[in-house]
Amino acid sequence: MIARRGGALALICLISGFVAGCGETPSPTPAIVAPAISSDQLVGKWGFAAYHKDEDRTRTIKEASAQCNRPYVIAKGPTGGVMMNLADQKELSELILKAGPNGQTYLGPAGAPGPDDRIVTNVDANSFTTVWVDPENASRYGTSVYVRCGKR
Amino acid sequence: MTVRVGLLVRLALGAALAAFAGAGAGAATPGQDEMNVVDQPGYQPSPEEEQLTGAYEKQEVFFRTTEAPGTIIIDTKGRFLYLVQGNNRALRYGIGVGREGFTWSGLQKIARKQEWPDWRPPPEMIERQPYLPRFMAGGPGNPLGARAMYLGGTVYRIHGTNQPQTIGHAVSSGCFRLVNDDVIDLYDRVPVGTKVIIRQAVAL
Repeated sequence: MIARRGGALALICLISGFVAGCGETPSPTPAIVAPAISSDQLVGKWGFAAYHKDEDRTRTIKEASAQCNRPYVIAKGPTGGVMMNLADQKELSELILKAGPNGQTYLGPAGAPGPDDRIVTNVDANSFTTVWVDPENASRYGTSVYVRCGKR
Repeated sequence: MTVRVGLLVRLALGAALAAFAGAGAGAATPGQDEMNVVDQPGYQPSPEEEQLTGAYEKQEVFFRTTEAPGTIIIDTKGRFLYLVQGNNRALRYGIGVGREGFTWSGLQKIARKQEWPDWRPPPEMIERQPYLPRFMAGGPGNPLGARAMYLGGTVYRIHGTNQPQTIGHAVSSGCFRLVNDDVIDLYDRVPVGTKVIIRQAVAL
């Protein structure tokens, strides 16, 4: 469902790009791209790094790759979600992918989009990016990047 | 849900020990002020929080030493860093030091200086706080603060902090932390190669 929705949005963006210049102007802010994504894509071992200033994104991605000696491990959850930490929570929770406002993909506890969620962006086979919905968490943790340890 | 400053757990260890002679009002005694502090990456303290008062506020003090002006002397027991000025004077900064078992002494030199250093939480911290990124790019809110001065070839640094409430306490894994205004001030005063003497106590 989400994958279909994300794919449709990507297609709309692609088509409208020829007309209205979707993504035509490079922005210092990473583009928020609604990903076509499934829980399975998040499962695995990830180099995990964060930044607050957009100019640090490129080197942070490199640093994330370098952190595979102590990876962040995402396992499949018992009901089809993924097991990850919420902000400041040592224990893992099962999180699900869900549709957020403006076509964004949210990752968080089951239920309506809320402050415990994070927005998932810039997904490809070997990396994804998240930002907390809660402004305070977003301010504290910045933008998180996950780079797969061992390419698919 | 979120761990906040208010959740800092102060471990009251032992009975009151004799105050460190000459350290000044508010100076620490070891064991009394050890803090179990959860790092708060991204937390940005207010200017009011960063304003130290009393003994830990940066100040010029009487300080008798044979060390040359420009030398840094760290008093881990008193929680002070002295920058020798000459003429029996020194600039004194309040610092946070290593927890019990993480204190050390020795002679080092500043091997490298870095503005807004990146932060890589040590493995034991990742174990305690597995939700932390393994790397956080430098900037406001970074636990290493605004500046870092690396001590020789060790893993230890003199650095800033985004937790000013930890100044005067035993809190670190062996590094020495100052509030950001102080670490910027110190950073601008000392070059690479500066001699750094770390002592358990300093006789004035």
